[in-house]
Amino acid sequence: MKNSQIAIIIAIAVLIGYTLVRLGNSSTYSNFEQATEKMGEKTTVIGYLNLEESMDFNPKTVQFSFTAKDKKGNQTRVIYNQPKPQDFERSEEITMTGYATDTAFIATDILMKCPSKYNEQNEIDSDKIYK
Amino acid sequence: MHYVGEHLWAAELGRGLTAFSFIFSVLAAIAYYLKGDEWKKLGRLAFRLHATTLFGLIGLLFFIMANHYFEFDYVWKHTSLDLPPRYLFSAFWEGQEGSFLLWMFWNAVLGFILTFTAGKFEGPVVGVFAAVQAFLVSMILGVYIGEMHIGYSPFILVREMSENIGLPWTQFQDYLTRFPNFADGSGLNPLLQNYWMTIHPPTLFLGFASTLVPFSYAIAGLLRNDYKSWINSALVWSFFSVGILGVGILMGGAWAYEALSFGGFWAWDPVENTSLVPWLVMAGGAHLLLIQKNKGGVVPSTLFLLILSFLLVLYSTFLTRSGILGDSSVHAFVDLGLSGQLLIYLLFFTIGSLGLLLWRYKSLPKKEKEDGMDSREFWMFIGALVLLISGLQITLSTSYPVFNQLFGPEGLISLYEENKVLIDPIAHYNAIQVPFALIIVLLIGAGQFLSYHKTSKSQFFKRQILTFIATTLLSILSCWVLDMWNPMYVGLLWASYYAAIGNLEFWFRWARGNWNVAGSTVAHLGFALIIAGSLVSNANKDIISQNKTFIHEEFPANENLLIHQGDTVELGEYWVCWTGQTEEGIYLNYELEFFEEKDGELAKVFDLSPRIQLNERMGNVAEPSTRHFINRDIYTHVTYADMRSMEEQSSEEWKNQFDIELAKGESHFLYGKYQVKLDTLVVEAPNTTDGPEYIVLGAGLSVTTMQDSTYKIMPIYAVQGDEAQHVDAEIKELGLKFSFDRINYETNKPVIIASEHKEAEEPFILIKAEVFPWINLLWLGSILMALGTVIAVVTRIRRS
Repeated sequence: MKNSQIAIIIAIAVLIGYTLVRLGNSSTYSNFEQATEKMGEKTTVIGYLNLEESMDFNPKTVQFSFTAKDKKGNQTRVIYNQPKPQDFERSEEITMTGYATDTAFIATDILMKCPSKYNEQNEIDSDKIYK
Repeated sequence: MHYVGEHLWAAELGRGLTAFSFIFSVLAAIAYYLKGDEWKKLGRLAFRLHATTLFGLIGLLFFIMANHYFEFDYVWKHTSLDLPPRYLFSAFWEGQEGSFLLWMFWNAVLGFILTFTAGKFEGPVVGVFAAVQAFLVSMILGVYIGEMHIGYSPFILVREMSENIGLPWTQFQDYLTRFPNFADGSGLNPLLQNYWMTIHPPTLFLGFASTLVPFSYAIAGLLRNDYKSWINSALVWSFFSVGILGVGILMGGAWAYEALSFGGFWAWDPVENTSLVPWLVMAGGAHLLLIQKNKGGVVPSTLFLLILSFLLVLYSTFLTRSGILGDSSVHAFVDLGLSGQLLIYLLFFTIGSLGLLLWRYKSLPKKEKEDGMDSREFWMFIGALVLLISGLQITLSTSYPVFNQLFGPEGLISLYEENKVLIDPIAHYNAIQVPFALIIVLLIGAGQFLSYHKTSKSQFFKRQILTFIATTLLSILSCWVLDMWNPMYVGLLWASYYAAIGNLEFWFRWARGNWNVAGSTVAHLGFALIIAGSLVSNANKDIISQNKTFIHEEFPANENLLIHQGDTVELGEYWVCWTGQTEEGIYLNYELEFFEEKDGELAKVFDLSPRIQLNERMGNVAEPSTRHFINRDIYTHVTYADMRSMEEQSSEEWKNQFDIELAKGESHFLYGKYQVKLDTLVVEAPNTTDGPEYIVLGAGLSVTTMQDSTYKIMPIYAVQGDEAQHVDAEIKELGLKFSFDRINYETNKPVIIASEHKEAEEPFILIKAEVFPWINLLWLGSILMALGTVIAVVTRIRRS
């Protein structure tokens, strides 16, 4: 067999291996309903913070909890065993990775999106003028 | 209308220069494309004029930023009066337009050099540069054709921004002096006010720009059907690119590690990935060029890799600037409105270059004879192939958001019903990239002992007996000291030691310090140390902060340590005491003292002060503080803290006074544990003939605790004539007091002052502390790799 053919075969083998690993690791975005159906399984939910409900952080146990609403409008209590992220109140969208339990969604990782922060600053406030 | 105080000349000049720069780049591209000496001369002139106008407009933008012409949107958004001059550069490339300008600047510089050095390839090489520049300048043109706009100009005025057109304030001739907003700009994001922001972007963008040179040579070769005479030039430039881009990427890692609390130097974030991939492919391409030069027979794959590296830079630009990564990256990217233009840019060069390669494919010189398994070129080719596959894997996994846009539920062709996402990206990339890294370092180690054409087997092994012995002994020692026995990690560590020691042995013993192999020896040694350092510091990262004060039944001990002020608590092998906090500009420094136990007594060993940056624009940001030892780093950052100053926290009986402004129905999160809501506002104002005799206002508040119990209270504010009275409301159980202070006449909202009873809480912080063993190997490796590429480039320029 020619060496270049060997090389290509190795490359193909690696790519197949890669695809298998990839399938094992990938998952889809879901909502709280789907997360509850597959309780205990790791998944990612995109949602919004519900400011009407309380947001608690207990530094002694380092437990932060809040209520989130997913895109379908279902809401659930989320528990995050990490310090409360800075400026969490201002988040527009929250990407939560974790798993559902019968009482709450346990988030292991949280990403926030707050684009409005930037825009607020850049608005001309025309009510304010020098007197 | 004539507006007062605007520097319209700068706007006109800036836009004029942009337009000319664009026209000259298009002219240069066309003229260089046409054959003949006259056309070439015209192309050269046009390109140099393009570069000159570009430098002019960059200088002008600096000028208006340095002089704070706040009527310009770019100046207003990115600078402020109190911005220290040393951060002017950072402010310049903070925005989209400025970073495009930085990229164009390097392209123009490199293109300018090539108009002198490219010789007979000047036409196609600089022509490709001109075409790339035309696309890039179009991103800052700011021209409207009907409804469609082409690019955003950095010379646009605030009043010309589409969101401001027609607003009432634009009707004032003297708006610049009338509205306080224009007295000062919003300034550079404090997060970016550090020296990394000054040196990292220019290096990285020079790296990006440098990938264009080998690309242009490849295109030139294809156009001319010449695959020989440009190899040497492309070789030097491709190693230049590997060096600069590598340094740029590593600087980003160093920035993340030193100044940001990402908890490490590499997080497989899409932004990091998309700059690493062009480097991997360029490293592969550069080595293929070496084979081509010394042995030949790899023209098609060399061309493919050199072209691909630049295309991946374009793809990276598209991903990071189109807003497509919004959900998956910590770098919050928003769609800046250039997606369409970026896509055209990407597609033009992708289709153009790969199309050209396919069209020429049949006429490309092919291998006459197969390489032997005992030749250096065979294994070098395998190495390049592994680099390519590694890069493609990272690209595929980073492109999930793109696949979702194309094939997701809302995509062009809907193939699956739920958007795909990587659940644990770090584990995912590590699992696949560690074996790739292992193959690469093994090849780096063995490569030096192989010769082109044919290697004698006995000599191959005999020459590296010492290396084998030393590597194995050192690996066993390291693994024993680190207690690291994961077979994949042991393998990778052995292989990277093998690469490091093998290169050294070869250079000193067999090449006898030959200057010609010095570059590759030092660079490969550096690369091997980078791999070893990353592996050891990451795989053995030890989180020494463990919260032992309370462990919830359902949850494992936490990685955050709670320290009350003045307490000394155990932290790994140390004892740590939080002595207090100091304010320093926009920073709150938390002073930590570290002690070691010696003969039953605590002896102070060092101080650290992790800090929190008070950043109004981005939210407060924790910055780590690290104690560097030769063999490890102690890395700490504050993960939770009460943001009020010491004095505020310890006043008399009541402390932590806090103003809350609420409209009816609004709520506020107080002291990180109470939800305060204004349910109702009671007003009593009996009318007499001369207006109300007195006014009594009552704020009906409900206070909800973490335990979900709600308290209803009503502080009262009464005004009669010019006298005001307050009746405060207290919640004894919680140690909280609320006072109805006043009505804010600007917002028409009641202002409630909340305060906490002193005994309510002792100040505390949460910190996270990690030990990174042997991370200095990584930095040493980075420096060596940079140094090695410099030596390699210089020796190659000298030889040719």
